[in-house]
Amino acid sequence: MEGTSPVIVADGLQRAFTVGRGQRKETIEAVRHLDLEVRAGERLAFIGPNGAGKSTSIKMLTGILHPTGGHALVLGLVPWHERRTLSRRIGTLFGQRSLLWSELAAVETYRMLGAIYGLGHAHVTRRLDELGELLDAASLFHQPVRTLSLGQRMRCELAACLLHEPSLVFLDEPTIGLDLLAKQRFRELLVTLNTELGTTVFLTSHDVADIEYVADRAVIVNDGRVIRDASVAALRAELLTNKRVRVGLAGVDPAVVAAALTGPGRATTPTSTGIDLAVDTDVCTIETALTAVFAAAPGAVVDVAIDDAPLEDVIASIYRSPT
Amino acid sequence: MTAEVRALWITWRAAWRHALADRRALWSQLVMMTTNDLVWIAFWLLVFSRVDEIRGWKTADVLILLAIAITSSGFVLGALHNVRRLGDMAADGELDEALTVPVRTLPYLLVRRVEVLHIGEPLFGLVMLIVFADLTPARLAVFAYGVAMAIVIQVGFFVLVGSLSFFVGRNEGGNLGLQAMLLFSSYPVDAFGGVAKILLYVVVPSAFVTSVPARLVGSFELGPALALAAVAAVFAGLGVLTFDRGLRRYTSGSTWT
Amino acid sequence: MITQIVTTAMAGTRRAARQPGALVAVAGFYLVVTLALSAMWRAVTESRGGEIAGYDATSITWYIIVSELAFSVVPQRLIEYTGDDVVNRRIVPELIRPARPVVIRLAHEVGMVLPRLAACAVVGVVFGFAVVGPPPSWSGLTLAIPALLLGAAGSIAAQHAFAAASFWFHETRSAWFLYQKLVFILGGLLIPIDVLPGPLRSVAAALPFAAFAYAPSRLAAGRIDPGWFVVQLGWLVALTIAAVVAFDRGTARLVREGS
Repeated sequence: MEGTSPVIVADGLQRAFTVGRGQRKETIEAVRHLDLEVRAGERLAFIGPNGAGKSTSIKMLTGILHPTGGHALVLGLVPWHERRTLSRRIGTLFGQRSLLWSELAAVETYRMLGAIYGLGHAHVTRRLDELGELLDAASLFHQPVRTLSLGQRMRCELAACLLHEPSLVFLDEPTIGLDLLAKQRFRELLVTLNTELGTTVFLTSHDVADIEYVADRAVIVNDGRVIRDASVAALRAELLTNKRVRVGLAGVDPAVVAAALTGPGRATTPTSTGIDLAVDTDVCTIETALTAVFAAAPGAVVDVAIDDAPLEDVIASIYRSPT
Repeated sequence: MTAEVRALWITWRAAWRHALADRRALWSQLVMMTTNDLVWIAFWLLVFSRVDEIRGWKTADVLILLAIAITSSGFVLGALHNVRRLGDMAADGELDEALTVPVRTLPYLLVRRVEVLHIGEPLFGLVMLIVFADLTPARLAVFAYGVAMAIVIQVGFFVLVGSLSFFVGRNEGGNLGLQAMLLFSSYPVDAFGGVAKILLYVVVPSAFVTSVPARLVGSFELGPALALAAVAAVFAGLGVLTFDRGLRRYTSGSTWT
Repeated sequence: MITQIVTTAMAGTRRAARQPGALVAVAGFYLVVTLALSAMWRAVTESRGGEIAGYDATSITWYIIVSELAFSVVPQRLIEYTGDDVVNRRIVPELIRPARPVVIRLAHEVGMVLPRLAACAVVGVVFGFAVVGPPPSWSGLTLAIPALLLGAAGSIAAQHAFAAASFWFHETRSAWFLYQKLVFILGGLLIPIDVLPGPLRSVAAALPFAAFAYAPSRLAAGRIDPGWFVVQLGWLVALTIAAVVAFDRGTARLVREGS
């Protein structure tokens, strides 16, 4: 993406909130200092734990919140001064808030949004055909929104956000609350959107998997600051190589099995119901680790679950590693 | 500008369709509100069974006042329902959605929600006018003018008090202002004396919402009619100004506790 | 049983006392309503040469001060909220406690009345002195306090008895609305019962609503009649029994038929 112009430039962006009242009044710095440059066509995951300042950042960049300090330009516009002009060119989706009218079919909201964005009737119809196909959601558009599952509703929300063909979309925790399959499907849609239409995707999440499956670049924030900004390839090599394998055991002493499993690239902890393995996949593959488990506790394995390292561990390792 | 008006019109239409999509409760709600209005009429008829007039207000005058109150507040709370919730929405961070569309935030918010509970009231008020007033086309026109001004003043005032929650983080003031307006506007302002009466012209402008228009319906005078329009313009302006100022301090629900 | 009731009521009192914002809001609204209604009634007495149904400007003002007090310190939407709890089955966890849910709820609400009553009474008395001077009878005003408490407890019991309808019918909002309107006119809230025309007056006197607002208000207006305490107590007992029986039947039905 070298050479393309930046679509988002944030320079020392800050936002403080006053909490409480009277004597218990205090100021909380939700965003302390945000420097960021995003180029057209990027898929950026803005990752951090709850309260890291992700939503506040996205709301400043879309013009919903005025900052308490710093500057930003989005598509060449100052978001909080030129919010309405900007909103014609960007799409926004907030995972926890619905844009759609619950009692009506989504298509009615799309017609309303079409009028708001000044699109003609034929234009909206054509666009809905495209989006119905892209999002595999054409049949959902005509059902009352309250009858849709959350995964289906999020696809309809995404259609609403894309109706006016924005070149840049902001998605705030779009996968929150979705089941695993719906989550994966939604991630694939975002990648398609980016690769086929060239739409720049700015996504916030506290789910490490969103880094791997959606983004080509990840910005990790904690406590109102960027603590790491790197390509996903680089991050994967450094940070995303840890997997957690939880093994349920029956009829054997977990401590004995744990002791037998020690080896390069795996750290083992006995738990009340089995063992936890932290596996560094650079050194030891999942297959090697599992083979070792079955060898160490033949006939005693009742359950196996493999997860990414939780975000807290990723953040902790960023703080540990020199950048 | 016309594109914006069209967008607002279409939003409002969708809000109506949304409100009417679930009709199960519609009839019981209409009956409820009609009962409510009938109780107020009964109250005034009971009062006037004991007195001939209250400081110049006779039965018919007060019932016309009540018709203006019911028609205008029914329209405001029914067709522009968010005006009632504005302060809570600002404090709770519910304006995000309105801030992502390329339409002016305040008008968009106002037309974004219709509440079925109140939609029968403008009709009820009109029926009251027909029943209790000696109706002429001129009177109907003055009534329509008075109701229109009453709507503008109420919207301006409710936006003004609701927007205070941008600055203080809570909406107690907004709710109190709303309740006070709805209450005082159902009495003739002359029932109050001294300071209270002045306050009802200036602070909670309920006198301009019902008493002044009701007097105009009784006997039209140009001066008060123009003054009414001026007051409406002032409150509309104050409302818009406070809202726009407040919006800069909007916190999107972050951290007011 | 008594310990449970007292503990719950005290918890309610502490809870209401710890929400100064809500108390200020209740007192503020009370002041506004009292201001409006008392001014209106003074205008009415004035237009009748200073007297209506035996009330002069001073006594009608003190009447309104106390009738609005009776109205303001009791949540008026308990029918709706309690009904919602029944319809949405939020009441179910309360069924497994060793006390009847309705008794606990009544005690809690009555406990919450006390701080509101204290806050609004101060506002009301100051308002009364500022506008019309001292009340017609000091002993009447003093007696109005226990009468207000009896009335508030009666109103809370009555609302719960009404709300029990939700065990059988799923829509209680209209019931609440009708109830509130009855209280307005027939409970002596908007208009003293003595001012109503003859037949309506008899109907109002026979209904429980008069025990909630009218009974304490007439005391404050200087009309002392111990008989009204008996009436209030009678309605309180009857309505509490009605609420308990209705909830017992309703919960039995709920347990039998599931949710």
